[in-house]
Parts: sequence; structure tokens; C-alpha cells
Amino acid sequence: MKRAIPAVISAATALTLVLAGCGGGDEPVDPNAPVTITLAGWSLSSTPEFKTLADGFKATHPNVTVELKEYAPGNDYDTQMITDLAAGTAPDVYVMKNLKNFYTYQSGGQLLDVSDTTSGLGSGPALAPYQVDGKAYAVPYRQDSWVLFYNKDLFAKAKVTPPDGSWTWDDYTDAAKRLHTGLKGAGSNATGAYQHTFQSTVQGFALAQTPNADLLSGDFGYLKPYYERSLDLQAAGAQPTFGTAKTNKLTYQAQFGKQQSAMLLMGTWYVATLLNQRKSGDADTFQWGIAPAPQFDKSTTGTSATPVTFGDPTGLGINPKISKSKTAAAKAFLKYAAGPDAGKALAGIGITPAQVSDAVTASLFGLDGVPQDDLSKFAYAKHTIKPENPVSKHTAGLQNLLNETHSAILSDSKGVDAELSKAQARAKNEVLNQ
Amino acid sequence: MATLPRTRPRNRRLVSRNTVAGWSFILPNFVGFAVLTLLPVVVLFYVAFTNWNVFGVADWTGTANFRRMWDDASFWTALRNTVYYAVFHIPLTLAAALGLALLLNRKLRGVRFFRTVAFFPYITSIVAIAVVWNQLFSPEYGPINALLGAVGVDNPPGWTASATWSMPAVIIVGTWRYMGYYMLLFLAGLQTIPAQLYEAAETDGAAPWQRFVHVTLPGLRHTTFFVTVLLTIESFKVFDLILVMTGGGPGQSTLVLSQYIYQKGFEENQFGYASAVSIVLFAICFGITVIQFMVNKRRNS
Repeated sequence: MKRAIPAVISAATALTLVLAGCGGGDEPVDPNAPVTITLAGWSLSSTPEFKTLADGFKATHPNVTVELKEYAPGNDYDTQMITDLAAGTAPDVYVMKNLKNFYTYQSGGQLLDVSDTTSGLGSGPALAPYQVDGKAYAVPYRQDSWVLFYNKDLFAKAKVTPPDGSWTWDDYTDAAKRLHTGLKGAGSNATGAYQHTFQSTVQGFALAQTPNADLLSGDFGYLKPYYERSLDLQAAGAQPTFGTAKTNKLTYQAQFGKQQSAMLLMGTWYVATLLNQRKSGDADTFQWGIAPAPQFDKSTTGTSATPVTFGDPTGLGINPKISKSKTAAAKAFLKYAAGPDAGKALAGIGITPAQVSDAVTASLFGLDGVPQDDLSKFAYAKHTIKPENPVSKHTAGLQNLLNETHSAILSDSKGVDAELSKAQARAKNEVLNQ
Repeated sequence: MATLPRTRPRNRRLVSRNTVAGWSFILPNFVGFAVLTLLPVVVLFYVAFTNWNVFGVADWTGTANFRRMWDDASFWTALRNTVYYAVFHIPLTLAAALGLALLLNRKLRGVRFFRTVAFFPYITSIVAIAVVWNQLFSPEYGPINALLGAVGVDNPPGWTASATWSMPAVIIVGTWRYMGYYMLLFLAGLQTIPAQLYEAAETDGAAPWQRFVHVTLPGLRHTTFFVTVLLTIESFKVFDLILVMTGGGPGQSTLVLSQYIYQKGFEENQFGYASAVSIVLFAICFGITVIQFMVNKRRNS
């Protein structure tokens, strides 16, 4: 019996694969024949990037139609995509929102080798994570990085000197506290800073900036100073506590856009959101700017140095179940999406493409409402971006565990040391040993 | 339940016709149940002994998943939290539901209105419940702590924002949500107690408390048993309420078994291991229900 069941399942699987394979066949490939490829996206009505890519590609490849298939936003995207891939109903081309689940897709055999599309894309750092054994399994089309958004009006109101690119985390903490006092004195209820409930807001910076920090080592000591500063800001009232943000479901868009907080650490995708919300009235109109993320120490501060920050590339991969007649079109689409033309088109709607060139920066800063100061341009264009998620079998497990640690520390239950040593023990006994 | 009288031979044709008719009535439901519930459950028992990760083949790994569970501190935390929830949720809900039923079983003006009100939480969207209760529980700005402050509590709890108080907060909301539903079952049970019994007790000079203990409670024995079984199963597989209220946090303070299964299965794609944990949860629910039936049977005899 024990042997019979796997045999039946394997036979059924084999049969399904054979039947599915029939559809592909060996049809002749005519480069000009009309082809429709499907592309996964999310929140299509409020996320214009997929349509921008589809339309832009159509302009140079009139015979190819890119049809969008809507998926759930947020973390549900991956759950839904994994289910559809396993069931064989996923679209031809799909997005990897970050690197957390790239291992799952790649090691599960759900990505076609697309090495031939990466020629001519240079050797940007965003390409590297998608390479396994010298082959590329996806191409990046977006590369956001985390920066400091700040409200110039609130800085002026609190009479605090705005960021100049020289800030370490201690300078940031100090400024948040002085803003808190200054704003209170000026009769404003706004807080100095807002730290959203994402684990990235602490752990992403700590991992990227601390020398020799390694998520996969299971040694999380590098997180300690970053958490101590967050707790310090919470205790001082300079930012809403984690508990308040969670229980009241505070959104970073309203917190910064409605001038409830003077500073916000967030990814560059927020530029497009803020611009749209100013138009729709969901955000106030005020003077704002972008500064480089605060740094670990003085060695990477100042506009003559290169600040270190983090961010995962967003990539496109091809479903191996795609029919052969469509593979060439899908590869051409990947090449377009990762290339300079798509980059300019994406920058035109406020999205940061994988390769930031002078043309891209000019296109983004040409948008109505984007700050024009030099520091904002510097912060947007110049930085070393390290991935938030190293590509490994253990990444998803470790990140889930650290997400629990994040809420445990910020709700201030047993202290940073106790929670971090608990996290390390769990990493060793529950994730890294699997 | 009474057993059906044995059929005589000449009724056989009628019986078989009734059987066919009966089956055809339950067939639509049964097909859905078989395809969407029964089959997956059977497959689950196989998957639990493999390392299936959603893509590719499932290798037979024997009892490896269960041995892993034995050493998995998070599994034990989830189990402890589930028991914590059940131990408080079951008696509290039982008491609250019975209390409400007794209160609303009288001939009061507007009793129908109050019965409806008590049932409302049960039919309200769980997401809406989570959002509103989280705001009520908000440690700094919530009305609950404002009220506690007003009556002189100096250091009010952090509720869902604190690892110590998150579970009590969830239990309170769980009790509030489900008491209306079980109240309805108790109300139905109360209708079956003959009024003569109360009249006789009253004539004998029994006080209200004595009437409750010696007439109402014995009369409700079957209902109470049914409610307890339902409540136990519901408590052990609690999922949606906790997922939307706290997401298992802060830390792992409200992580329960069904959420752990979801996390391992759908977030980390370890479907083999998640299935093994589901079997343990199933065994716990099944075991406790069997014990309850045995205890009930002994009491009946």
C-alpha cells in the first residue's frame, strides 16, 4: 500500500505532464505571427506599471499582445502564484516581488532559463541574485531602494536643520527627538518620525549596513543597536509606538502624506504613490525631499561618499509550461522590460527601474511635484543597494521567524537581548537544521 | 436517539425506494463534501509522511515530520497557546451563553430585539470585528484603557500590543463573538423543559437557585453536552479570529496550531510538515470529543 500510492500519484503526474505537453507541440515559429502572452500583475487599477510595460512593448512588437492577469496584492500574491504554478494555470510571464521566494520558484523548477535575454543588460547588481550555476532565471525590471522622506515644512516649523546627507543613525534619532520637541512647541501634533510596522524598517538597514552581518549565519547580534534606537524613539514619543501603529492600522501613506510625521523611511516606490495621492487629495500638498538613509557610521556619509541602503529587485520570469511558439515573444518581452526604454517609461510614472541612468533620473525628476533639490537627486541616484533577502532555502523561514522577533521586541516584552537570543536558538533548531 | 423499528419483508421494496430517494437527496451535498473535504483529508494522511513542497514530487520520509515536531519549540508554543485559548474560551463562552439564554427566556418587553442583538456579533464580518476591537484595545488611544484609567487603574494592560495581554484580549473577543450563537442553542433547549416541573418545584417551595440547579440544568443536559462538544472543536481549531486580530503576535504570544499549519504550509511551502501538524490537531480534537462522549454516556447511565 505504501508503495502503491506514490506510484499512482507519479503516474497521474506523468499523465498530466504528457497531456499538458501536447498543447505546446512543435509548431513552427514565425516571428511575425500574432502572439498573445499573459503577464501576472496585482491591483491593476491602481498599479499602472504592468500596463505601461505591455503598451511599451506593443509599440516595438506590434504582433505581440501582452494580456494582464490580475493577482492578489500583498503577501497573498506569492501564495496565489505558487498555487497556480503547481496547478499548471499560471500565466506565461510572472513577477517576483522580492527575493524571498525566488528560491522556491527556481528550485521548484518553475522558471525557464532566460540567460540569452540578459546580454546587453550590463552587469548591474540587480542581475546577480537571479543567477544560479551561471544561468539566469529571471531579469530585474525594478530596483527600489530605501531612502529617507522628509517634510520640509515641518522641519521649518520645528526649527530643526533638515538632513544634508551626512546623517548617521544617531543624527537621525537626535533629529527625530528635536523635531518632536519643536513641533510640540509650535502647537503641532505631528511626530518627529514614523517607523512603519514592516520588519524591513529595522532589519533591512541593519543587515545591509552592518559590516559582516549575515542573515544565513543565524547570528542576529547586528540587529541590537538598530532596535535600541527604535525603542528609544518610541519611549521618547518621537514616533508612534509599534502597538499604536498595529492596533490602529496606521498607514505610512497617511502618516507622511497627511503630515502626521516629519520623517519616513521608505522605499522609492512611495514617490509614485505620494504624487498620485497629492493629485487625488489623499495627501496634503507640502514641501518634501528625499535624503539618503541614515548610515551605520561616518565612513559612508556625505555627498562625496556612496551611502549604503537595501532593496530587493523586482523580477520577471517565464513559466516553463509556456507553449514553445510563445517562448521567443516572452523572452523578447523580458529583454524589453529590463532594458533602457522600459526604464524611461517606468520612470515617467514614478517607478524606479532596475537600471538608474541619467535619463531615468531626469525623467523621474521631470514629474510634477517631485522635489528639485540636489540632495533628493543624489539620494535617488547614488547608493550601494544590498538585497534584503539573500537567495537561499532558509530565507523564507528565517524572515518569518525574524518578523515574529520584530513584533516581540517592539512591543517591549522581554528586552532586545532575550528576544534576539531566542530568535537565534529558533533559527538554529527550527530553520537552519532543515 | 431511538432506533428504527425492524422492517418486515413486505416493506422491503418501500425501504429500498426510500433509500434511493434519501441518497438522491443528500447526493449533491455529498459530492461536494467528498470532492472538497473527504478526498483532501485522505490525501493529507499520505502527505504528512512525505516532504512535499508543492512543486515536484513528494518523497516518502516516514515519521520524519513527527520526529521533527517533537523537537520543534514553535510547535509546542502553538500547542500551549491553543490549550490556553481553549481552557478559558470554553467555560467563559458556556457560562455567558447560558446566562444570556436564561435572561432572554423570560417574557420581557422587547425580548426579541435583545435576542437579535446578542446574535449580531456572530454574523458580523470577522475582519470588521478585528479592526474595531483592535481600536478599542489600543493601549494609548483606545476607549477601554481610557475607561480603566478613569476608574483608577494606573497601569492598564497593553492588550493586543503586549505579549502578556494579547491572549486574554483574543479570548474576550472570541467569547463575545460566539456567545450569541450558543445562546440560541440554549434557548432552544430551554423550550423543551416542561413548565409543570417549574410549577411543581415552586409549589414545593424551591428557591430560584434551587430551581436552576435541580430543574434547569438537568433539563439542559443534552444541550449542554452538544454545546460543549461544538465549543471544544471550535476552540482548538480557532484560526480566522486570531489571524486577523493579532496575526499570532506580538512575537509568538498568540500563535495557535491552525495558524502554525498555515504558516508552514502556505508561507513556507512545507506542505508535508504542515500536514503532519494538522494530523496532530485532528487527533487532539478527535480524542477530546471521544472522551466527552464517553463521560456523557457514563453520566446518562
